[in-house]
Amino acid sequence: MDALYRLEADKLDIFLQSLGPDIYAPVKTDAIRFQKISSVKEADLTALADVPVKDFFFRQREQLFKFTKGKIATEIKDAPFRIFFGLRRCDLNAVKHQDFIFIEKYKDPYYTAQRKNTLLFGYHCDEALNKYCFCGSMGLEEYHDIMFFDKKKYFLLNPGSKVGQKIVSEAKLKRAGTLKKKDTIPKGTDRLEKKDISKLFENSLWEKGADECLSCSACTSLCPTCYCHEVKDDVKLSDLKSGERTREWSSCQLKSFTRVAGEHVFREKRVDRFKHRIYHQLVYFKERYGVNMCVGCGRCITHCPTTIDFVSLINKMK
Amino acid sequence: MGRLRIGFYGLTGCAGCQLSVIFNEDELLDIIKLFDIRAFPFIKASNDEERFDLVFMEGLVASPHDIETLTRIRAKTKTLVALGACAHSGCIPAYRSFTLKENYEHLLYSKAKDIADVEPEPISKHVKVDYVLPGCPPDKKEILHFMKEIALGKTPKFNHNPVCVECRLNGNDCLLIHGKPCMGPITSGGCHAVCVTGGFECWGCRGPTGDANYKAYIALLKKKGYKKEFIKTRMMMFAGKIQPEEMKACLQ
Repeated sequence: MDALYRLEADKLDIFLQSLGPDIYAPVKTDAIRFQKISSVKEADLTALADVPVKDFFFRQREQLFKFTKGKIATEIKDAPFRIFFGLRRCDLNAVKHQDFIFIEKYKDPYYTAQRKNTLLFGYHCDEALNKYCFCGSMGLEEYHDIMFFDKKKYFLLNPGSKVGQKIVSEAKLKRAGTLKKKDTIPKGTDRLEKKDISKLFENSLWEKGADECLSCSACTSLCPTCYCHEVKDDVKLSDLKSGERTREWSSCQLKSFTRVAGEHVFREKRVDRFKHRIYHQLVYFKERYGVNMCVGCGRCITHCPTTIDFVSLINKMK
Repeated sequence: MGRLRIGFYGLTGCAGCQLSVIFNEDELLDIIKLFDIRAFPFIKASNDEERFDLVFMEGLVASPHDIETLTRIRAKTKTLVALGACAHSGCIPAYRSFTLKENYEHLLYSKAKDIADVEPEPISKHVKVDYVLPGCPPDKKEILHFMKEIALGKTPKFNHNPVCVECRLNGNDCLLIHGKPCMGPITSGGCHAVCVTGGFECWGCRGPTGDANYKAYIALLKKKGYKKEFIKTRMMMFAGKIQPEEMKACLQ
C-alpha cells in the first residue's frame, strides 16, 4: 500500500462530496473541532484540531442499557456512514489504539457501532504543527483509508485500505509515484529523547511537573487515546427499580479515580497520579501490547492550563 | 417501613434553593409518594414539626431568629442536609464579615431597628450537618439524586471532582487558557459546569474541591495578569467562611 495517486486541488471538494453526505473536518469555532462540512473550504487545516475525534466513537457519555424491574434492554444504533477528513498522523494512530482496545482486545458494541461505518482520511503534516508535537518519537504506523499529501496545486493520495484503494480506483485517479517511508514522518517531531523511561520512576523531576498540575483532567479529556471511564447507575424516582446504566469519561488525574471501598484512595498524591498517566502512555501500554499508547500529538501540553511539558521534563531526567 | 418524614426549611437567604427543589416539576408527585413532606413553610400553610427523618435546611445563620429555628429543627431531626451555598458556606451574604461594619450598617440596620444581626455563618458553625448539597443554587437533579440515594438506603457521596471534569465532558474550551479567572480547578463539581458551558467563568459557588492545587492555581492567575487582591476577593466570595488551611496559607 505505497502507491500514490494525483488529485487536482480544485477537484478535492467534488471528490469528497461524491462519496457521501456526511463529511467531517476540523472547523474553527471557539476552538478547532471536527464538524460536518458542506464544502472543504470550511475546514481549517492550518493547525492541529484542538479537540480530537475520540468523542465521535468513544462518547463522553454513553447509555449502556436500561433496566426495568430486573430486565435489561440494550439499544445500540449504528452511526451513519461518515468520512473524517483532515486527520493528522497522530490522530489516525490514536484511532488505531482505540480500535485495538474497543474492537480487537475487548468487543465493545457501543464503540463498534459508532466506529464501523467510518472512513479515515488523513492530512499529512510536512513538519511539526506546533512546538509541542513529538509524534516522530512515538514510532507511529500508517493507519488510514486514504492519506492526503498537500502539494498546493494538487494532492497526492495514498490509499491505506481496500476501501481506500477502491475509492481511488473508481475516481480514476492517475498513479503518481510511490510513497517512501521517510516521507510519512513529519519533520521536527522527534523531540522526546530516546531513553528507558521505566528506569526513571524515582526521578525527583516528576514532582516538578506535579507541582504545576491542577488535576483538572484537561490532559486526559483531550488525549485522543485515553479511554478510562466510570460506570454509573441512575434509577427513576417513581419506582427506584428501573433506570439506566451509563458510562462516562473519567480521569486518572482525579482522586476519585482510585477511590475504593472504605474511602481508600490508592493514588492520593498528585505526583503519583501525574506519573501514572505518563507511565500508562509510555511504559505500561507498551509492555502489554508492544506499542506506545501516546501518539505524540501534544494536546495534553498545549491544552494544560499550566502547560506542563512532560516531554522536556523527561528529556531533563538523568 | 413507612415514608420518611421530611421537612424543608429556610433561614436567611433568597429561597432559591427551595425553589430548586420545586423546579423538579415532573418528579414532585413521585417525591410525595416516597417521602412524607411534614413541613415546607415556603409552600405549605400547615406544617407539622413533631419530628423529622430528614430536613433540608436552606440559608445561612445571620440573625438570632435563624439560630433559634436551626437549633430547634436540628433537635427534632435525624439527618440534616445543608441545602445550597448559604447553608454550606455562608455564600455571598457572609461576605459582610470581610468588610467593615460601618460600610453597610447605616444602609439598613440603623433604619430598621427591629432587625438584629449576628455574625453570618454557615449552619455547620452552629449545628451538626450530615450532608451538603452545595451550589448557588444547588443543581435540581442533584437534589433528586440525593433523595433517591436516601430512599434506597445508600450513603450519598459528595462530588470531589473539580468543575473542570464536567466542563471537559461538555466539550468546552478552557476559559483559563483564554485568560479568564475561572475557578473551575479549585471548585467542587456536580453542577454540570453550567456557567462555563454558558460562556461565564466559574466563581466557585460550590466551594473548594478538597483536591485543589492553590499554589499552582494562584501562580497561574498572577501569570495571566490578575492582582493578588482580585484573586483573594474571588476566592473569598463563596468560600470565605470555609477556607481550607491550604487556601488560607496561599492567600496570606
